[in-house]
Amino acid sequence: MLNITNVSKTFFPGTVNERKALVNVSLELRPGDFVTVIGSNGAGKSTILNTIAGRIQQDSGRVEIDGKEITKQKEFQRAARIGRVFQDPMAGTAPNLTVEENLSLADRRGAFRGLARAVSGSKRDRFAEELKVLELGLENRMKTKVGLLSGGQRQALSLLMATFSNPKVLLLDEHTAALDPQRAELVTRLTNQVVRAQGLTTLMVTHNMNQALEVGNRLIMMHEGRIILDATPGEKKQMTPEDLLRRFSQLKGAALDDKTMLQ
Amino acid sequence: MTTAVELGLIYAIVALGVYLTFRVLNFPDLTVDGSFTAGAGTAGVLIVQGVNPFLATAAAFVAGAVAGLITGLLHTKGNINGLLAGILTMIGLYSINLRIMGAANVPLLREDTLFTLLYSNVSRGIGSIVVLAVVALLFKIVIDWYLHTDAGLALQATGDNELMIRSFAVSTDRQKIYGLMISNGLVAVAGALVAQYQGFVDIQMGIGLILVGLASVIVGQAIFGNRVVIQATLAVVLGAVLYRLAIQFALNAGLNPNDMKLLSALLVIVALLLPQWSGFRKIAGWRRGLGSGGAAGLTDDGAAATSSANMPERDPNQPSTAANQVVGDRAGVGSPGVGSTGSGASGGTSSTGSKAV
Repeated sequence: MLNITNVSKTFFPGTVNERKALVNVSLELRPGDFVTVIGSNGAGKSTILNTIAGRIQQDSGRVEIDGKEITKQKEFQRAARIGRVFQDPMAGTAPNLTVEENLSLADRRGAFRGLARAVSGSKRDRFAEELKVLELGLENRMKTKVGLLSGGQRQALSLLMATFSNPKVLLLDEHTAALDPQRAELVTRLTNQVVRAQGLTTLMVTHNMNQALEVGNRLIMMHEGRIILDATPGEKKQMTPEDLLRRFSQLKGAALDDKTMLQ
Repeated sequence: MTTAVELGLIYAIVALGVYLTFRVLNFPDLTVDGSFTAGAGTAGVLIVQGVNPFLATAAAFVAGAVAGLITGLLHTKGNINGLLAGILTMIGLYSINLRIMGAANVPLLREDTLFTLLYSNVSRGIGSIVVLAVVALLFKIVIDWYLHTDAGLALQATGDNELMIRSFAVSTDRQKIYGLMISNGLVAVAGALVAQYQGFVDIQMGIGLILVGLASVIVGQAIFGNRVVIQATLAVVLGAVLYRLAIQFALNAGLNPNDMKLLSALLVIVALLLPQWSGFRKIAGWRRGLGSGGAAGLTDDGAAATSSANMPERDPNQPSTAANQVVGDRAGVGSPGVGSTGSGASGGTSSTGSKAV
């Protein structure tokens, strides 16, 4: 479903600040794969997500979705097939538009946006049904501006918006990191639920080792722009956070931030 | 009085155009100074050549849209800062407008214009005001409708959170270009109408127009609120009329027409600064406590200038809610003394008063 072949990316090449974010990274996700990505700071986790999404242009290599090369496509063109949820809960929704307007925007992913009314009666009913899944009561607040919702509510809504328009690939960039533990738990549960229900091919970056082991069927660990561990579903089931920490400590120069240690 | 209201209703179309860029797209577009004259010149020259004034006014829309397209391309494809892109187009248009007009001034006094047609059917005063109000409201309703379509919602989202709407497969470049084209098209139509109203086209008639638009949008929304689109556009239309009345009042009070531009700049500055002053925030909180401030919700002007699209919304929206109402009141009081760009719109040297036909 998602094929990344020999992708490299160097920031500030030829300067003292040169940083190799990705070094010949190859990764293949089969349809329905739910892969969690962990790694130290600067390992290239976010870069690989941004390269797939088209926010960062890679120096070399190719990216394919569903057998179609998208390497040369712009970010918004790729977005027709890629759903994304960002770390910042404010990033995934339009604050000055209402809940139903945000859903309507997401609903037209990849479709022509013409002069039809964006929110009509039948759509509203459908959106309300979708919102019920979140169990946040948002179906009763469809005309509320999203900017008035809490971070957790906005992130749950972002997740719904990113997924209900049937993307081929779902990219989650530490999307629970900025939430309090309770909300993070909720969003993690919803993520699991929706990815399973739709069989979405998913790549999820996380700082949280427990989360990385709990969800998904594969786990990859990155270090200095390379994938150093690709755990199959069988291996992943056996792993404990201690195993992962031991792996980390074997790495030269892998700086674990406090947050990762605590979790 | 009649002149002020009539002009206000025509300038309401400018205000709607500026609303689209400044508020919806969050893009301060200075192209309007040039596209206003471009619209006036295009329509004026066509009318002199005997073209139907309706067609001539429609052609003005096209001219303005082309100007907006150029600014949009410079900004999105050329990666030129939005303000600079607008200024570049505006300056370039000055020469182009002179080419279109063939001279610095094109008189329309003996030609059939939309306003000779209007005044031959209804009397000046209530009749003409009603017709112009209907026209302004028609433009408002069309914009309301557009902003609630799939296309219009994408435009709104582009001004609200670019990263988000791009992740839903919308080209923000294209949306900005559409927005700039529609906005400048509207401004050009207003230019064509003003030219027909005053009976001539002047190469300087667009100078300072952006302030007229901004003042109408900011003052109108401060007083009448902008919680939802329908309210915001109505506020903008009313703001344009209020602004014109304020100018009229200032001139009647004996203010020098040459000082109008300075005073209108001061009006905009005051309307932008007051909501940021902590004293007004306190009053705002107090008023909100009484439950009186809920209606208006001007998006924080300071935020519009400095923030990214996805900053937390509650802060900018709520505290400024009532503050802006206060600003509105203050602006209302202040504006008699605070003048206008009106003289600029009617030509560098002619005063607002001389605009009456």
